[in-house]
Amino acid sequence: MLPIIQIGPLAIQTTGLIILLSIWLGISLAEKSANKRGITTNTLDNLILIGLASGIIGARLIYVIKYIDIFIASPISIISLNPGLLDPFGGVVIAIISMIIYGRKKNLQFWRTMDVLTPFFAVMGVAMGLSHLASGAAFGMETDVPWAIDIWGASRHPTQIYEIIAAGIILAIVWPSRSIWLKTKSGVYFLSFIAMSAGARLFLEAFRADSNIILGGFRSAQILAWFVLAISFWEIFKLSKEKKWTILRNS
Amino acid sequence: MKEFKLKQWLILSIIILALGVAWIWISKTPANATASGDIPAPRQGFLAPDFTLQTLDGETITLSELRGRPLIVNIWATWCPPCQAEMPAFERVYSQYKDDGFLILAVNLTNQDNPENVSAFVDKFGLTFPILLDTDGKVASIYQSNALPTSYFIDENGIIQEVVIGGPMSEAMLRIRVEELLNK
Repeated sequence: MLPIIQIGPLAIQTTGLIILLSIWLGISLAEKSANKRGITTNTLDNLILIGLASGIIGARLIYVIKYIDIFIASPISIISLNPGLLDPFGGVVIAIISMIIYGRKKNLQFWRTMDVLTPFFAVMGVAMGLSHLASGAAFGMETDVPWAIDIWGASRHPTQIYEIIAAGIILAIVWPSRSIWLKTKSGVYFLSFIAMSAGARLFLEAFRADSNIILGGFRSAQILAWFVLAISFWEIFKLSKEKKWTILRNS
Repeated sequence: MKEFKLKQWLILSIIILALGVAWIWISKTPANATASGDIPAPRQGFLAPDFTLQTLDGETITLSELRGRPLIVNIWATWCPPCQAEMPAFERVYSQYKDDGFLILAVNLTNQDNPENVSAFVDKFGLTFPILLDTDGKVASIYQSNALPTSYFIDENGIIQEVVIGGPMSEAMLRIRVEELLNK
């Protein structure tokens, strides 16, 4: 655990540093195969930046609307740098909407675009594990296994390490220089990544001690991951079944 | 993909999904088994580690004796600019909610500060909540605080609801979190 990195007089929040580095790494990795999939690197950069910027602004906006009375009392807080004043779900929704609008304007095909973004998402998956490790979040259940770590007053499964390993393997599998992924139909690359990530979450959630538990003692993240897995399998099946029509023009 | 490959894919998917259901069933857990409420640790969802400190006025305060009151433990020092910056907001929020039982414990890192500066600081900002003197840095150490300021939002059962590392916290954030603590 290392929530703060101290470089001389400068204290940097490790999570922030990891996120910044991984955005940069993710973009450069996604650029590698963008051209081959028919999207210019310029369009890709714009798409990601629009997503990030609108996501942050949207997350704050939704949060302010939710607690409008309090922000009317101290309006300066609207531009406060506190990351605690963000609504993550609202941010994601607004980021997706903005990216769809930009994609429409640029006539981007949905599945192809998701394929191009896949290496970016895969890098963010590893980053998420690393930031959990830095802050001690997403911690594990108590255990006697020899590789248990001492954290938060108990000997626990190192779930953050499991998460990093799983995301690392997935990143290696979807690494953009693998030519097999260029041969699959549009969308299969992205959906394979989603299926692997959902599968990993479904499996690893069982070792976590911070799961949200719903009726009957089930972990809600696992149920959600199962449905994501099922939908990705089904979509891969559907996309693969589609016939490729040859267009013949007799003129 | 050819026809037979699709069929294999379908069968494989169904097997994986069935294994998924089995795994979800196996990893089912009683509703409170993942809760950590009885282990003291400086993390959200855990019991706030107990401590006893002297205040600037010479009073003795023990955290566990304050059960029933939602509170903020704020670790700070006079020489820390963001700590200074958030103190006026702390004071305003405290005076607004103290009648509802809300309390702020401002734990001064006295082993890296000096009591005269602390007194001058308290007068300058007109702080009315208790200022605790962590003379040997023990509280900062059990709360694993390695950045200033750090604030721990603790509910009336003594469970940490949120840890905010770094500052200054805006007044809106403080107010939202305090209202959430009071409405629980």
